[in-house]
Amino acid sequence: MTTSQVTGEVIAPRKKRVRPLDLIGRYTALFVLMAFLLLPALWMAFSSLKPNSMLFGSTPDFSLEGVSLDNYRWALRPDGMDMTQLLINTFSTNIMSALLTTVFCAVAGYGLARYKGGLARALVAFLVISQMIQGPMIMVPWYQIAATLDLINTREVLVLIYQTLTIPAAIWLMAGFYRAIPVELEEAAAMDGCSKFGTFWRIILPLSLPGLAAISLYAFILGWNDYQYALILTSSEYSKTLQIGIAQVMNSIGATNWGGILAAGTIAVIPAVIMFSLVQKTLISGLTAGSVKG
Amino acid sequence: MASPSIRQTAPPPSRHRTRGVRMRSWYDKTGFWLLLLLPVLITLAVFQFYPLLETLRMGWTDEGARTADPGFVGAQNFERLLTEDPHFWGIVRNSFIWVFLSVILQLVIGTLAALVLNSKIALRSVWRGLLMVPWVTPTVVVGVIWRWIFEGSNSGLANFFLTRLGVFDQPTVFLASEFWVWPVLLFASTWKGVPFVTLLVLAALQGVPQDLHESAAVDGAGRVKRFFHVTIPSIRGTLFTTGMISLVTTWFKFELIWALTNGGPGFATSILPTYVYTWAFNRLEYGMAGAVATLALVIIFVVAAMYALLFRDKES
Repeated sequence: MTTSQVTGEVIAPRKKRVRPLDLIGRYTALFVLMAFLLLPALWMAFSSLKPNSMLFGSTPDFSLEGVSLDNYRWALRPDGMDMTQLLINTFSTNIMSALLTTVFCAVAGYGLARYKGGLARALVAFLVISQMIQGPMIMVPWYQIAATLDLINTREVLVLIYQTLTIPAAIWLMAGFYRAIPVELEEAAAMDGCSKFGTFWRIILPLSLPGLAAISLYAFILGWNDYQYALILTSSEYSKTLQIGIAQVMNSIGATNWGGILAAGTIAVIPAVIMFSLVQKTLISGLTAGSVKG
Repeated sequence: MASPSIRQTAPPPSRHRTRGVRMRSWYDKTGFWLLLLLPVLITLAVFQFYPLLETLRMGWTDEGARTADPGFVGAQNFERLLTEDPHFWGIVRNSFIWVFLSVILQLVIGTLAALVLNSKIALRSVWRGLLMVPWVTPTVVVGVIWRWIFEGSNSGLANFFLTRLGVFDQPTVFLASEFWVWPVLLFASTWKGVPFVTLLVLAALQGVPQDLHESAAVDGAGRVKRFFHVTIPSIRGTLFTTGMISLVTTWFKFELIWALTNGGPGFATSILPTYVYTWAFNRLEYGMAGAVATLALVIIFVVAAMYALLFRDKES
């Protein structure tokens, strides 16, 4: 190891040269990767612009002929799939859920970041287990409890159950953001006679706004992505989420209106993509920073 | 929340330690932080751990929507699953196939993708952002996307290419075939799962010291050799953790299969999580659902322990 480090310095300047073959290989690999990641979704978006008559040809339709927004009109209008109500349900549920998660994790994340006592490892284990034990392991009791409390088919029950989905990861992310703030700041505030809570409220929290924005949108995306909990807890018009609506349409009229379903799917992706792009940088650095140590 | 501010006075010299001061220092070092954590801990205990314990308890009862007077029945549910149930062992086998293939595909493709996105390319941050598109795509829409590509008629992309290449003479209805339904599911799970793996591996790759690579190159190691002898050992810890996360989360995830096949045709793509759903919400036998969930938990616990024993980095 030591010898190689010595020789490493000698060779460093030569690294700058890039062979053309390398470049071709690199960009081909990038192209293949992006094709795999993006083409499936783009194929949905592209096909959603075509009338059903052209979607059921003897070959897939790659042409630009007949492009229109008719399928989107069907998806959004009351005489079609009426997605507006679904969008209202999903947005309001997830905004509430994201706000709740953010408040919880803004406070608890600070605790997790600074607490160094004996229970720290137990806390982390508790969070990791919560993160992993999902869906089928808890859904039946949740359904029973919701039925007992008369909460089936409400947005409130989704807001509550989404906390189990969002809190473990969000608190972890938030703790990471807090750890990046130097402890010296807090010590200086304590010297000036600021209480611990005052320090948190007046100094640490304002510094953490980008992190808070990131975890609230992260919670929003996780809720937006949920299917299993909405599936067992909601089916009524004013509570069910986008995904439930789309799945119901797909299972009932399915193959007879591919165009409409593809349009509905495209509509359902767009908000999540926009939300993600808003906080992409903070979120990606947060997600990766927390994991490297693990 | 105003109480902490009362205790602001400067601490008296330590030789005059009183009980109050000791309390204060405990509060400063531990109590305050635990107080901040308390709301979340209570939330998770109520919303997550209580339902989990309920599920585990339920497996030993005959609770259900049609049971008039439910009570404990001992291990009867488990016996029924292990000895009488015609679908159970097939479903266990499906779960293993599904989890192992999903995890391996996600790890291999995710690592390769991370290598690509870690190399010197133009607009790198744009590609890293676009990487996450499948991750933010809702599960049901993932189902729509892949059902459309694997459409059973002539207009499906997969059928178009496979008939052109001569693999099939005529279009195949993938989702109705007990064999061809699996590639569709694995395509979808790889597509959805790769971005997160890539993200984690990418972060680890950025921590690999560049001079290690350069010195290995000087010693005459080719690209492939360097990958296996420099890159892989450096990111081993991350690969282990990522594999574990992806193993456990895939094991408990039923959404993707539900969105694509509902566990069908028949029970051909049912896995333990979908079977929990079938017992609870189609057959309305909560006791049996609890028993399936309990067995799922026991199996993944054993599998995760074996995984840890086999692959954990012994040096660290």
